[in-house]
Amino acid sequence: MRPDLDTDPGLPARDSMTIPLALMRTTVVLAFAGLGVGFWLFQVAQHEKFAELAENNHQRTIALSAPRGAMFDRDGRRLVENRYSLNISLVREQVEDLDATVETLSDVAGVPLAALEAVIERHRRDPPYRPTVLIRDASLAQVAAVAAHGIELPGLFVQQLPTRHYPTNEVGAHLFGYVGEVSDAQLASAAFENVRSGTVVGKSGIEQTYNRLLMGTDGARQVVVDSLGREIETLGEEAPLEGRQLQLTLDYDLQEAAEAAFKVAGFDGAAVVLEPDTGEVLVFASVPAFDPNEFAMGIDGETWGALNSDARLPLNNRALQNRYPPGSIFKIAMAVAALEEGIVDPDHKVVCNGGGFFYGSFRQCLTSHGTLDMREALERSCNTYFYSLGEQMEIDQIHHWATALGLGELSGIDLPFEVQGLVPSTAWKREARGEPWYPGETISVAIGQGQVTVTPLSLAVMMATVANGGTRVTPHLLKAVNEGNGFVPVPRPVPRSEVELSPETMSAVTDGLWYVVNRNGTGRRSRLEGRDVIGKTGTAQVISLQGREAAGDEKRFRDHGWFVFAAPAHAPEIAGVVFGEHNDQSGLSAEIAKHIIETYFAKKDGLLRPVLPLPSTPQLVPPVVPPVVVAANHTH
Amino acid sequence: MLERRLYRHIDWLLLGAVVMLCAIGVTMIYSTTYDPTAGVAGPQVRTQLGALVLGFIAFAVLLVVDYRWLSDSWVTIFGGLLAMLAYVLLFGVVDGGAQRWIGLGFFNLQPSEFARIVVALGLATVLYHRRWALQTPVGWLMVVGIVGAPALLIYQQPDLGTAVTLLPVAFAILLFAGLRLRYVAILVALAILITPVAWTYGLQDYQRQRITSFLDPELDPEGAGWQQRQARITVGSGGPLGKGFLQGTQSQYKFLPVAHNDFIFSVFAEEQGFLGVVFALGLYLFVILRGLDAARLAKDRLGTYLVVGIMFGFAFQVIYNIAMSAGLAPVKGLTLPLMSAGGTSVIATLAAFGLVLNVRMRRFTN
Repeated sequence: MRPDLDTDPGLPARDSMTIPLALMRTTVVLAFAGLGVGFWLFQVAQHEKFAELAENNHQRTIALSAPRGAMFDRDGRRLVENRYSLNISLVREQVEDLDATVETLSDVAGVPLAALEAVIERHRRDPPYRPTVLIRDASLAQVAAVAAHGIELPGLFVQQLPTRHYPTNEVGAHLFGYVGEVSDAQLASAAFENVRSGTVVGKSGIEQTYNRLLMGTDGARQVVVDSLGREIETLGEEAPLEGRQLQLTLDYDLQEAAEAAFKVAGFDGAAVVLEPDTGEVLVFASVPAFDPNEFAMGIDGETWGALNSDARLPLNNRALQNRYPPGSIFKIAMAVAALEEGIVDPDHKVVCNGGGFFYGSFRQCLTSHGTLDMREALERSCNTYFYSLGEQMEIDQIHHWATALGLGELSGIDLPFEVQGLVPSTAWKREARGEPWYPGETISVAIGQGQVTVTPLSLAVMMATVANGGTRVTPHLLKAVNEGNGFVPVPRPVPRSEVELSPETMSAVTDGLWYVVNRNGTGRRSRLEGRDVIGKTGTAQVISLQGREAAGDEKRFRDHGWFVFAAPAHAPEIAGVVFGEHNDQSGLSAEIAKHIIETYFAKKDGLLRPVLPLPSTPQLVPPVVPPVVVAANHTH
Repeated sequence: MLERRLYRHIDWLLLGAVVMLCAIGVTMIYSTTYDPTAGVAGPQVRTQLGALVLGFIAFAVLLVVDYRWLSDSWVTIFGGLLAMLAYVLLFGVVDGGAQRWIGLGFFNLQPSEFARIVVALGLATVLYHRRWALQTPVGWLMVVGIVGAPALLIYQQPDLGTAVTLLPVAFAILLFAGLRLRYVAILVALAILITPVAWTYGLQDYQRQRITSFLDPELDPEGAGWQQRQARITVGSGGPLGKGFLQGTQSQYKFLPVAHNDFIFSVFAEEQGFLGVVFALGLYLFVILRGLDAARLAKDRLGTYLVVGIMFGFAFQVIYNIAMSAGLAPVKGLTLPLMSAGGTSVIATLAAFGLVLNVRMRRFTN
């Protein structure tokens, strides 16, 4: 028998247990009530919020990039396409130590750490589950290295992405433009509504103008992932829709011929060739160019820096981004203005004694031309003749007709970054300078100097307008769009303006320009037997005669040489311009034009294409180009 | 030893509730370890079933043996526990940075799980026999020794969570043994004073991090705060009615770590919803209150002390784990008794209930 310790009088009575027992029960019941309330808050009151969080946890929408639309030339030749590249991407959410991961990747893939960090920094604000492309267009060796280090590199994976490919490399680069990740500034603009950060968009050229057509629609795949981000099942998939295919007005044979001719000639410049009746652009070249393929994978800082600091300015689109004095080319506009205003008739004669006095000062001509009519004045490019026209005309009359021919105006071409030239007028002078126009200034304008500036593109428009009898067509590059059911032509843009040039004017100007090429004129280097090429040379001086003597023969002070042309003379099929930067002689520009024209007719007639001579002197030192200097009052 | 008439006094209701909780546990272990591609559940289900068999054997043994007999041999049992804990520290199986197990080949035994019963038995016996224990320094020394020695050994493993669960056991028994409220006040004051010291010297970095991230989960969304955040998402997304058996996206896609173990109640809440939670909470509350009844009915103070120690320790662990499973308490490696996968935990818990029923069953014996 055990001692009954419970009834020992020294201890609290058994009844006293009711208090701690009650205390304990109360504590437990309260705690459970608290738990019940807690679960009620989460499961009932805030259920919606947590249900959404749970869904975000395990469901992902993965964007499937749409390939951009391909581009073809007018003959259906494929000029811009896509290829699939391997990209190494990272999902930040799945990476515990971002710095270590990036360092390891830099090590195994042989990519500079700073470049990777820059990419990470750029995408810092993206949602952490969205893949960031760290290495675009990875080599197979890089992909293999990443796969081999898979365990040390969680959150990295290899993605196949459609990537822009330009099989022609540098040819047509300024025309096609290039692509790149959409910038913050673009994202803020209306044209890029609904575009996600990181999307590849057009940044220049056709790629930019028709970005909306070319872009296509990204697809999406809805997947279930586990906590490690592994895809477990696909809930649904919307296939990406390739962008529209574009057919351009471009004639790749001519484009190639033009750029090859510049290479052989050994100077930089621009060439634009239009179909005068329609405004279709057959050639659009700016030399030197860049390789748009380098942008397609996201251009690295080094290449970008090199392109920007290159003294030859390869990113500069000389055909429409720069203004130059037209020099003697402007005499075509003067002739048209004088004839249409009835100031003179084509047979009006002027005596040239190597220059003359106008408004009290002597104005020089290249030589003593003797007595000439207007056709001969165009042929010989006689300054004295056009000084005398300038003396008889109001600046606003000149402005009116130059504008009708597209000078000092935007051409409206479907390419970005076009700048506007200038043909002065009394209104312009009042607004810009707050001064009246002095008639003496008209004398300089008459030979394309003074304040007159043009873009090469606007001179091509002028030639097309002169060739078609007064319709200022809008140069354009888009011919047809394929929405999936074959190419459908797009409506031609309406002409910017229309005047009817009288038959007399047309015949006089055509004759004059025919002489330039086919008699002893300044453009005889573009003469083609039986093709009736018409044309006009011009020189844009970058420095005055006096300054030139001081500067010596340094290349960056040499003149720019112009040549505008059309052919055949009485029913022109092509019209255009060749601009030779610092080539010193407009005749060299005429040679390039000749090669283009010859190629055009050879192709049309199914003949052998002309072959260029090998370059006589290989270009060893790239010339240094200063910003365009507009100066001097000398021309020939 | 076991007389036939004792059967009549077995608390079948309590036993039934315990069995039901075990069944829910097995079902949830099945769900959390289910592999949809293979169509089978993980090996943990089989292990749990085996542990349940062993557990009910232990339950039966501790039901049949008179608790007073166990009390008489408490020194041997206590010595055995300390020996096992010491053995673990020296030769135990290491897993996840801790040394907690004795490898038995087919099974890893975790001796610390038995510490609660043994401490309850020891304290109950000592305080039952030495009525003035709480008024003498020697008595206090014994109390501190019985709780402190195993706690220290367990803390060394390291396993702060399990060591801490000894405190509610001791507290409950001391309260019933006449611990003056002023001592309770002193203890609370001491605890408050010790907190900053313990914070600096007593806790590991990861433990401090768990507490800070509990106070503000956003501080560390990738690390310690992650589990807590995921626990809340798991519970909250379950909603009033739950996503259904095997349908919990949080557990099936492994967003919740050790779902079959420490976070089993989160998964239960996700798949069975608030309705299921209320049912399970009700079962646990019933088990605890019904268990405490045995303390009131016990024939002697020894039985009372034993029951309150065991039941309050059980209640503490249940409440803490369920709070943690909803992200309402810092993450601590504490299992949910009766439901979590864990062999030793199941055996020890069922053995403890054997003792509780033992006490209740023998209320009329001499």
